[in-house]
Amino acid sequence: MRNRNLYHWVGIAVGVLAVLFPHILPRFQLRMVTEIVIVALLAMTWKMMLNEAGLFSFGHAVYFGLGAYASVLGWLHVKGLSLMSGILLGGFAAALIGFILSAFLVRMSGTYYALLTLAFNQLIWAIVWKWRAVTGGDDGLGKFPKPDLLGISMRDPANYYYLSLAIVAACMFLCWYFTKTPLGSVVKSIKSNEERAKFIGFNVGVSKVIFLTMLAFFAGVSGALYAQFQEFVGTSSIDLVMSTNVIFMAFIGGVGHFWGPLLGSGTYVYLSEYLSRYTDRWELIFGIVVVILVLFAPQGILGIARKKT
Amino acid sequence: METFVIQFIHGLVYGLLLFLVASGLTLVFGMMSVLNIAHVSFYMLGAYLSYTMFKVMGNFWLALIICPIIVAFLGILMERFILRRVHAAGHVQEFVITFGILFALNEAIIWIWGSENLSVPVPSALSGSLLIMGNIYPAYRLFILFFSLFILALLAFILMKTRLGITVRAMVSDRDMAEALGTNAPFVFMLVMGIGSWLAGLAGVIAAPFLGISSGMGLDFLTDCFIVTVTGGLGSLWGAVVASFLIGQLSSFGILFMPRFAIVFGFLLMAVVLVIKPSGLFGEKA
Repeated sequence: MRNRNLYHWVGIAVGVLAVLFPHILPRFQLRMVTEIVIVALLAMTWKMMLNEAGLFSFGHAVYFGLGAYASVLGWLHVKGLSLMSGILLGGFAAALIGFILSAFLVRMSGTYYALLTLAFNQLIWAIVWKWRAVTGGDDGLGKFPKPDLLGISMRDPANYYYLSLAIVAACMFLCWYFTKTPLGSVVKSIKSNEERAKFIGFNVGVSKVIFLTMLAFFAGVSGALYAQFQEFVGTSSIDLVMSTNVIFMAFIGGVGHFWGPLLGSGTYVYLSEYLSRYTDRWELIFGIVVVILVLFAPQGILGIARKKT
Repeated sequence: METFVIQFIHGLVYGLLLFLVASGLTLVFGMMSVLNIAHVSFYMLGAYLSYTMFKVMGNFWLALIICPIIVAFLGILMERFILRRVHAAGHVQEFVITFGILFALNEAIIWIWGSENLSVPVPSALSGSLLIMGNIYPAYRLFILFFSLFILALLAFILMKTRLGITVRAMVSDRDMAEALGTNAPFVFMLVMGIGSWLAGLAGVIAAPFLGISSGMGLDFLTDCFIVTVTGGLGSLWGAVVASFLIGQLSSFGILFMPRFAIVFGFLLMAVVLVIKPSGLFGEKA
C-alpha cells in the first residue's frame, strides 16, 4: 500500500513538473525535454509490442520515419494543411504501412519476427534513400511550413512542448486503455499461448493485425511530431540506427513497466547529449552502459527501483 | 560472355567471404538460439588486428594464423562472462546485450585504430594475376575463393565426421536430450562460440587486403550477413552455403545491371523467402 502511495506521489510530482517545465527550464533544456516526450511515445509503442504481444520489433523506425515523411510531404505539397491534419496524416500513413506489413508479420514470432521487421526496415529505408525526387534522399526535407494551431503560434518552443505533451499523453492513455479492453486481453492471451487462444475461438491473426496497426499509428504520430520539432526530416529517422535506439530506450527504462519507456528515453537523450560533449566516442561508453545494465538489471532502471522498495 | 564469367567469379568470392562470417553466426544461433549481432565486430576486429600484426611482423601468413585465434579467445570470454550470465533473463535480453557489445566493440576499435581507412598489402606470393578467358584476374581473389572452399570443407568434415561435430549437431537438434545424455553443454557452447568467432576473425583477415579496412566495414557486412543467415535458415550450415552463394551472385550481377537498386535485391530476397517459408530455405523450426 505504501508502495502504491509512493507511486502516485511520484506520478503527481512529475505531472506538475511537466506542466511547469517551460517556465523553469532554460530554452536548451526545454528542447531536450520536448524530444524526450516525443520519443517516449515511440519507445512506448515498441514496449507495448514486446510486452503485450511478445513481438520483438527490429524495424520500428519504419513507422516512425514514414509518419515523419508523410506528414512533411503533406505540409509541403498540400496548401493550407493544418498542423493536426498533418500529424494525423503521418499517423494514418504509418498505420497503413503497419497494416500492410502486419499481413506478413502475423505469421512470425520470436527471432524470425525480429528479422523480418529488420528486412522490411532496410527495404523501405533503401527506397526512401534512393527515391530522391520525393524524399530528397540524403539531403532530407526541410523548410516546410509550421502552421499555427487555433491561432497559437507553434514556433514558440513552449507552445510546441505543450502540444507534444498533450498529444503524447493522449496516445499513451489510449495505449494503457487498450490493455484493459477485451481485445487487449486477447492479444495478451496470444502472447502466453497462441495455440490455446486459437483453440478457444479467438481470431488470433486479426487481433494481431489490429494491434500492430494501432501501434504503427501511434509511432507515426510520434514521427510527425518529431519532424515538426526538428523542422527537418532525413533518412536518419528511418534507418537501422533509429530502430536500435528505440530498443535501447525501452530497455534502459525497463520493458516490464508502464513508465519504463519515458524514463528510458529521458536517460537516453540526456546521456547521449552529455556524453557526446565530453568525447566523440560516446557510443563506446553507451555500449558498455547497456551491457552492464542488461547484465545486472535485466528489467531496466525501474526494475531495480521495484526490487528495492 | 566474358563479363558474365568474371562477374560470376566476383560474386563467388564475395559469397564465400560472406559464408565464412555467416557460418559462425548460424552455428552459434543453432546452438544457443542467440543471434549474436556482435559477430560482425569480430570480423572487423580480425581485419584491424591483421593490420597491426602486419605492421609488427611484416608477414601476412603469420597474421592469418594468429589474429583469428585472438578473436576466438575474445569470443570465448564473451560467452563465458557475459552471454552465460544473461541466459536466464531470456532471449530478448541476450539479443540486446550483443547489441551493446557491438556498439562498444566498434567504437573501441575506432578509438584504438582511428577512423581513417587502412589497408593491408596483398601478400607478395599472391600479388600477381591470372588469365581467365582472356581477362586478367587478380590471384588474391582466387586465393580467397579456394581458401574459403577449404575452410568450408574443413567445417563440413568436423561437423559430419568427428565426435565434436556429432555433439554439436546433437545439441542443435535437441539440446535438452543431448544434455541428458551427458554432454557438457557449457563447454560445447564455449567451444562453438570460439569456432564461430575464429571464422569471423579469419574472414576479417583475408578480407582486409581485398576490401580494405574501414570503420564501417562491420556494419556494411552486418546486413548482408544477416540476409544470408536468415534466408538460409537460422542454424543451418547448408542453408548458409546456398544463401551466401545467392547473395554473392545477386550483389555482383545487381551492380552490373541495376547499380542504383543493387542494395535492395538482398532484402527483397530475404523478405520473399521469409514470407513464403518463415523458417528460411533450409531452416527446420520457425
